[in-house]
Amino acid sequence: MEKFLDFIVRAGSLDRRYIFLVIALVVILPLFFPLGLPIRPTTSSQDVYNAVDKLEAGDKALISFEYGPSTKPEIHPMAVALLRHLFQKDVKVYITCLWPDGQFMAMEALEQVAVKQYKKTYGEDYVLLGYRPGAEAVIKGLVSNIRKVFTVDANGDFLDDIPMMVGVNQVADFDYLFSASAGYPGTVEWVQYAADPTGVTMSTGTTSIQVNEVMPYVQSGQIVGILGGMPGAAEYESLIGQAGIGTSGMDAQSVAHLVIVGFIIFGNISFFVERRRSKKY
Amino acid sequence: MFMKRQLPIAIAATIGFLTLFGWFVDEPVIKSFVDDDATQWFDILASFAMFLGALNLLKMQAIKIIKQQKGWQYAALAIVGFTFSFTAGFILLGSYNVEISQYDDPAKVATVLASEINLDEKSTENILIAMPEGDTYTIDTPYFTKKGADNVVEQINAAGGTANMRATEWGAHISTRGSLFNWMFRFIFTPLSATMFALLAFFVASASYRAFKIRNFEATLLLISGIIIMLGRVPIGGNISAWFILYIVVLALSAGVNTWFKNRTYTFAAVVGGLLAVTIAGFIMGWPVDQPAIFYLPVLQDWIYNNPNVAGARAIMIGIGLGIFATSIRYILGIEKSYIGE
Repeated sequence: MEKFLDFIVRAGSLDRRYIFLVIALVVILPLFFPLGLPIRPTTSSQDVYNAVDKLEAGDKALISFEYGPSTKPEIHPMAVALLRHLFQKDVKVYITCLWPDGQFMAMEALEQVAVKQYKKTYGEDYVLLGYRPGAEAVIKGLVSNIRKVFTVDANGDFLDDIPMMVGVNQVADFDYLFSASAGYPGTVEWVQYAADPTGVTMSTGTTSIQVNEVMPYVQSGQIVGILGGMPGAAEYESLIGQAGIGTSGMDAQSVAHLVIVGFIIFGNISFFVERRRSKKY
Repeated sequence: MFMKRQLPIAIAATIGFLTLFGWFVDEPVIKSFVDDDATQWFDILASFAMFLGALNLLKMQAIKIIKQQKGWQYAALAIVGFTFSFTAGFILLGSYNVEISQYDDPAKVATVLASEINLDEKSTENILIAMPEGDTYTIDTPYFTKKGADNVVEQINAAGGTANMRATEWGAHISTRGSLFNWMFRFIFTPLSATMFALLAFFVASASYRAFKIRNFEATLLLISGIIIMLGRVPIGGNISAWFILYIVVLALSAGVNTWFKNRTYTFAAVVGGLLAVTIAGFIMGWPVDQPAIFYLPVLQDWIYNNPNVAGARAIMIGIGLGIFATSIRYILGIEKSYIGE
């Protein structure tokens, strides 16, 4: 028994490289050997799905990309899933970016979904307005007059030459607003400066860590549903019936979380044994 | 003194009051200023701020290198990275497209084109033949250098075709595949940025192993809610039966009984009684995974998110809101002067 307790105490000061190795293994292995864990959509993900599902063909959705490569694994799968749902329903998609790298993320998502999967036409089914610096000021500008913020789209074409921009002058002209956000400027600014003043239905997709900050707006009804991190993306993928990176990543995340919890419990056992011993002697 | 002190304060106060009035006064001129002009001013200023930020970055890093401060090598790397990005964005634009508009003999042009688009000559010839009259065929992948694109144009023209080179427009080149900036973003910035963020998983695991300890009541609450959130948010949490959690609760309560009474009989009675009660209840209810719901991890994590968490988040938001209000008033009234260096 004493030897076992010794082992536990020694394991408490385990070299962190072993922990890194275990984490690497538990993240990599489920990607090669999927467990196929069932995904149950939460109410907030279901709310986002219902809001998009209510849209009809020809309705206009404004999607804002506010994330970069660092948060891509969390936000990109949900952006892709949302675009799939929108294009499936023939909704017209307008994309803007409050982050400079958001434009690259938007291009990648559009190429994957609009161009390759749904064969949509640029300028008629979707348009990429691009990035403008200014954070809240850009949102406020869009609420007032889109053409004062964007005279040209991301390709340098004049907005007035783009067929789907006819009659679209401000945020109030849209039927739905979605912010794929990884921080500032993002969801909170869209609620405060666009969704609330105009009354346009808004949903959001954020990183897991941001959910805390955004949840009060969801509870108050200012935001209709939230997709939280990779689990939110996986839930949305299951709702639209098209599994993607979110779903495949959930096995790895599930096992990694379980292992981290295991580490925490083991670390505490070691802590208690050590404390008891130090009291004893 | 007037230019450095009174004038900036007067500008800040005037613009501050005007912006504030925009929300409360229904006057078209003020509203138009707040909604349109002020936001455009802000956009222009933000663009200049980027320029100043870039200059500041260069200045700070250059000072580090000149003074050979600790980590000056990283500063050198930052300057190299900046110069490369600047060159890719403003000088070496890249992204040159080759367009074929006419040909005498499609087979001859296809001989040149096949290797460029990685298709066999017959398929390439068919693509050219299928091209509608008066239309152009653009090679899918843009060329990185003007010389590379010119070279292909020359070869196609020599084979009896009419091809020309078209450079992607200034501005659009940033997001066009084939440009140096786009290449840099996809193959340097994206993997580096993703790697940095991914490393967090390893450090979180290591830190939680060492630091997440039950030292007091608050730490215990944090630990338990952390574990519930971690497991409840992922699919594996939905597969952990509420009955398993109930058994853990019984054991934890029994440990509490032991600590409180320090009596083996009481502890034994708590363990056996608790386990028996849970088992009997389980048999009666048929062991449903998600019942009793208050011990089901996804339900528990949802409750934590929607109640204690939102209450805390609201309190913080209200606090921040009041802080912003107080600071804004100080700026507008000219009490706060830190922005002019006082």
